[in-house]
Amino acid sequence: MNPADQRRSPPLRLASVESRREFVSRLGAGLGGVALWQLLDRDLAVAGEIPSSLPHHAPKARRVIQLFMNGGASQMDLFDYKPELLQRAGQTFDPGAGVRVEAATSEPGKVLPPQFPFRRHGQCGRWVSDLLPHLGACVDDMAFFMAMASRTNVHGPGSYLMNTGFLLPGFPCFGSWISYGLGRIADNLPTFVVLPDAKGLPYNQKGNFSSGFLPAQHQGTVIQASAPNPIADLAPPEQARFITPSASQEGLTLLDKFNRAHQAMRAEDTRLESRVRAYELAARMQLSAPEVFDLSGEPAELRRAYGLEEPASQDFGRRCLLARRMIERGVRFVQVWSGAGGPSNNWDNHTSIAKELPPMCAATDLPIATLLRDLKARGLLEDTLVLWNTEFGRMPFSQGGEGRDHNGGAFVGWMAGAGVRGGAAYGETDPWSWKAQSDVTSTYDFHATVLHLLGIQHEKLSVRFSGANRRLTDVHGRVVTQLLA
Amino acid sequence: MKTKRQPLAAHDPWTARRFCWGGTRGLRVLALRGLLLATLAFGSRLPATEAGSSVSNAWWALQPLRSVLPPRSPETSNPAVANPIDGFIRGSLRSKGLIPAPEADRRVLLRRLSFDLTGLGPTPEEMDRFVADAAPDAYERAVDRLLASPRYGERWARHWMDVAHFAETHGHDQDRIRTNAWPYRDYLIASFNSDKPYSRFVQEQVAGDVMYPDDSAVTVALGFLAAGPWDESSLRDIREDTLDRQMGRYLDRDDILTTVMQTFASVTVQCARCHDHKFDPVTQRDYYGLQAVFSGVDRANRPYDSDPAVHRQRRELLRHLALLNQGDRSELAHPETQAAIQRLESARKDAVSSWSAIAPDTFLSASGARMERQADGSFFVSGRHGPTDIYTLSVRELPPRVTAVRLEVMPDDRLPQKGPGREANGNLHLSEFQVRLFLPGASAAVDVPMKKASADYNQPGWIIDHSLDGDEKSAWGIHPQEGERHHAVFELASALEIPKGAQLVFVLKQLHGGHCIGRFRLSISSFSPSDALAALPGAIDQILAKPKAERSSEEAATLATTVMRHRWEGESSQLPAPAYVYAAASDFIPDGGLKPSGRPRPVHILKRGEITQPLGVASPGALSCVSVAGLPAFPSADSTDEGLRRAALARWLTHPENPLTWRSIVNRVWHHHFGRGLAGTPNDFGRMGDIPTHPELLDWLATWFRDDAHGSMKQLHRLVVTSQTYRQESRNPSTPSDVDPENRLLARMNRARLDAEQIRDTVLQISGRLDLRMGGPSDHQFDLQPGIHVTPRVDYTKFNVDDAAGRRRGVYRFLFRTLPDPFMDALDCPAGDQWMPVRNAQVTIQQALGLWNSAFMTRQCEHFAHRLEQSAADVDAQVREAFRWVFNRPPARDEAADFTAYARRHGLANLARLLFNSNEFVFLD
Repeated sequence: MNPADQRRSPPLRLASVESRREFVSRLGAGLGGVALWQLLDRDLAVAGEIPSSLPHHAPKARRVIQLFMNGGASQMDLFDYKPELLQRAGQTFDPGAGVRVEAATSEPGKVLPPQFPFRRHGQCGRWVSDLLPHLGACVDDMAFFMAMASRTNVHGPGSYLMNTGFLLPGFPCFGSWISYGLGRIADNLPTFVVLPDAKGLPYNQKGNFSSGFLPAQHQGTVIQASAPNPIADLAPPEQARFITPSASQEGLTLLDKFNRAHQAMRAEDTRLESRVRAYELAARMQLSAPEVFDLSGEPAELRRAYGLEEPASQDFGRRCLLARRMIERGVRFVQVWSGAGGPSNNWDNHTSIAKELPPMCAATDLPIATLLRDLKARGLLEDTLVLWNTEFGRMPFSQGGEGRDHNGGAFVGWMAGAGVRGGAAYGETDPWSWKAQSDVTSTYDFHATVLHLLGIQHEKLSVRFSGANRRLTDVHGRVVTQLLA
Repeated sequence: MKTKRQPLAAHDPWTARRFCWGGTRGLRVLALRGLLLATLAFGSRLPATEAGSSVSNAWWALQPLRSVLPPRSPETSNPAVANPIDGFIRGSLRSKGLIPAPEADRRVLLRRLSFDLTGLGPTPEEMDRFVADAAPDAYERAVDRLLASPRYGERWARHWMDVAHFAETHGHDQDRIRTNAWPYRDYLIASFNSDKPYSRFVQEQVAGDVMYPDDSAVTVALGFLAAGPWDESSLRDIREDTLDRQMGRYLDRDDILTTVMQTFASVTVQCARCHDHKFDPVTQRDYYGLQAVFSGVDRANRPYDSDPAVHRQRRELLRHLALLNQGDRSELAHPETQAAIQRLESARKDAVSSWSAIAPDTFLSASGARMERQADGSFFVSGRHGPTDIYTLSVRELPPRVTAVRLEVMPDDRLPQKGPGREANGNLHLSEFQVRLFLPGASAAVDVPMKKASADYNQPGWIIDHSLDGDEKSAWGIHPQEGERHHAVFELASALEIPKGAQLVFVLKQLHGGHCIGRFRLSISSFSPSDALAALPGAIDQILAKPKAERSSEEAATLATTVMRHRWEGESSQLPAPAYVYAAASDFIPDGGLKPSGRPRPVHILKRGEITQPLGVASPGALSCVSVAGLPAFPSADSTDEGLRRAALARWLTHPENPLTWRSIVNRVWHHHFGRGLAGTPNDFGRMGDIPTHPELLDWLATWFRDDAHGSMKQLHRLVVTSQTYRQESRNPSTPSDVDPENRLLARMNRARLDAEQIRDTVLQISGRLDLRMGGPSDHQFDLQPGIHVTPRVDYTKFNVDDAAGRRRGVYRFLFRTLPDPFMDALDCPAGDQWMPVRNAQVTIQQALGLWNSAFMTRQCEHFAHRLEQSAADVDAQVREAFRWVFNRPPARDEAADFTAYARRHGLANLARLLFNSNEFVFLD
């Protein structure tokens, strides 16, 4: 059996600690079990082979770009058109039957109608707000979860839930699970990359990209797209003048010799070999990473189409273009954030939908639409999944007159690309977009669906930790087949 | 065959439920499992209890500790050198036909011991001394030296911080800094260094305040319960009447009880939140019983006095106050109380008439509002109304002496809600109040120090003390008592003598959301003692105004209560200011929406864990599956003293017959010495965890630790590290590679990758930069700037690694939960968002990059180079010296040749870079 086949054999795919141990024992690897994975990963990458045939079923998607709108994007002002709100504008919000209406941070106000006109788009006739004209033109490629529901109305737990499947910190995020389950495609770039907003990290900061109890190699590599050194420690600091290229080069050669002599007496310990390889891979990453960030080779027209010439969309556009370049070069999962944490300059529009939402749309509408077109034109959309998400929605009634408070009861997400039924929509909210009403998609269902597209049965991707077999979908999750091609 | 355990239950939840921890059918399976395990691990030596005798209807971890005699073996036949551990380990090796590895050489042994016990490698001198020490007890003395070193406590406290998931920010979306978390870290270090008996250590961290109220040092131990993340948005900022708030409380207690039960009992009770535990005999009722144990505490800054005398005095005062607050009137009729009332009444009469309104020459609003003097000496403010304002009033016409200043805020029909504030709701926020003295001819004013402030009414969380605290973000407010007159009195630190021609300036800073005062009057008094002037609650003023005979008994009692409270608070304010620790607390200063519950909050059993589906009320309790005679009873569900609930749990945990606690701790210690516990999952002794490889050794150790060592951790360490098992080489050529590949049977020592702190601290030690100063606030090894909202902006790349804050041991680093130090993170240092009884020890690309390129490492290379230059003149000697520091050995001839040639070409800093990045440094044999 060659290592690649080993990698895909069923006991491994159970992904439990037990099966790993078994596998490792079979190969006589001792304590260095997990390191061996890396060697195997690397061998696959060197062979230029993407681990394609997954154990559970044939995947539709091999890689993912997730666009995350931090703060709770207002569904009824973007995608969930509710004429009822126009009729009831200014009235006291009353869902009837004596149901108590509560809001997380404020006293519920009067019904606030959608703040911008909607129109139908595409062959599917989806309603989209005029704030998103470019995305409106893409609806036939997109499939909508129209009735998503969270379990909280608070950013911290809400962001954790959407990113890790749990309300509390400390669990592996979506990208980490995928890195863990599918491994790397390229060996000269990280497997899971996070591109935060230039203004700062989102709520929960790196907690949203943490590998939790999974090994640290699966955590999101944060890349500051606009910083001089986007990947930390890729090169020595400027102040370390004693380091010259030849000192490094000759040093690595001598280090390799020294390590191998040390290893010769300890051949049973594969971690020692892994460390030697890690330095080789690090050197390779040092060489290839800078090319990824160099956008000068991209045609001027395409740069413009990504919004790089407009101040409003420059930052997000650059990161969308980077996401494409990374996907192209073998990064498995790229998460692009819109908006930092905090009360403003993100999708958390408490004060005024009319004033706070348009800039967020202007920053993202064109870049996302171009990303979809660009991926499509290059054939990358065939095996790439693009996701648009947020941690929860907003309320049909006002907060302080013009803004909206958090609403875990209803929100919208969409996906496009590999395996997705373009133009489809699933689920419906109530007439006010207050609560998800029929064909509700929980965050677990959403994750289960995406894992399914990646060839993973969500119940089977688990790791034993703290008394239970932990999954991205906890003990829930149902694949929303209605949105699959 | 290997000692692989097959989790029968894990594959099929249905089977698992039926075979759950007992019952006759389960018993058969367990017996079979026991037999299987015994056969695998011990050949034919079958533990009697696991073969299905009368007491075996429980999972191994729940069975009573067995009294086991250490097996006799050739190694232990000489009692003078016998270590019982070797009897157990070597017995099982023999039964498998395995030969233990030989004892490691001295260089390896001292490195192992030193890194293990102190987290630092040996210095060249320490190594030389040890290698040259010909005495037969050289090793034992090295062990004692290291255990006595303060470095020991620093090392083992860090292990404990992993388990407690300690960090110094809240985590979540509002990742606020906990300025007062560090005293708990210092408590841990001191506890390990002083070898505190384990049972006391457990009790202090769960209920030290209740069980040892006279000990001033134990309050900080409660930092354990508060060590984990806390959701500030859900628990402080959103509305109290939301389901999210309620759910936040359940989740918060979930974190606390999980920490306690995993750490001390190695049980994963948290799996019973939505339903009975699927694999272990933990019911939902048990789980919510534990929720109820902690339902009277929140996480907050808790005051404490480290001075035992002050601690005693404050405790006494607080006891009096608590009695008053509970409505206890036994002290009210006391002659002393009556005398105090009398004194107050007479002083009060004169005091109240001593106020005279000031007549300022100048008065000014910083934001340009109009201030008009009214007939009664007050001022009315109108016109411009910005988000903040500062009123400044200056007076020349003054009496010769001033002892206090009174600020009256008054209703006025022209103000919204009649004021006295200008904002729509009529509230006001006085951020800071200052009095300054201009001496005649002086060019600058001096601040007049204040003793204290009092007010007739304080908005919860917006108390009058805030106007003197120097913090412009906190303020005094009066909501919801708008539309009425209120007053505050500021007593000067001492009577102020005012020379002729001097001026007093009064500054009223109002910096919060436009909550500026609309009408107010300032008065001064020269009455002393000034405390007779203090503002009393409005109701009390009314009572005092009545002739004594007309007061109802209710009013008399109210008055007496207030007088006594006044007295206790007055005495308490004379004590030195307390220190604070971020800890579990039932009584603390409210912070916005975070308020003490007063009494335990009712906890309901939640169907499927859903807040919308409450079932019955839960009663405080622990695990019903632990059935040992003499376990403490828990208070009932309607008991009001939350402390007794925690104390009951602490006693439950530390009961000598509790089978979980003692196994848990010796297994945890074993894990840190060997890299793997006797049971491989130190936080989980349940079915989803690992079964012990050497159950008899585990029981023997637990019993020995409890009875013979009396819970002394140092004795336990000593026993373990002096065993032959611990002193083996980490390779064993005599063992076939396919037998026991994971080294469960310990025919050799495990090789360890150094952990994040071991690498960082030892690199600092080698570079000569390690600062051994202990304790105190944590070192910020990052640039800290205010963030957009609560969470600050943290930049590790901007930190100057040569800064003093970068030189102490890693245990003193400030731990930022949602933004851990990337270098330490890459070396698997936990971020404090999850319990980490076992750290990962990966080998990754990011780690290679960090060790090879990070600012920290490259700078230490330069420092080390400098040290080497000082130590010897020629490169050959410098290379030899470098090897002595990094590897504690001289270089072999070919190594010396290679590295000397390299150092000649590229310098010593580059040489250091290679050595620090080598496997020989990063791995410990």
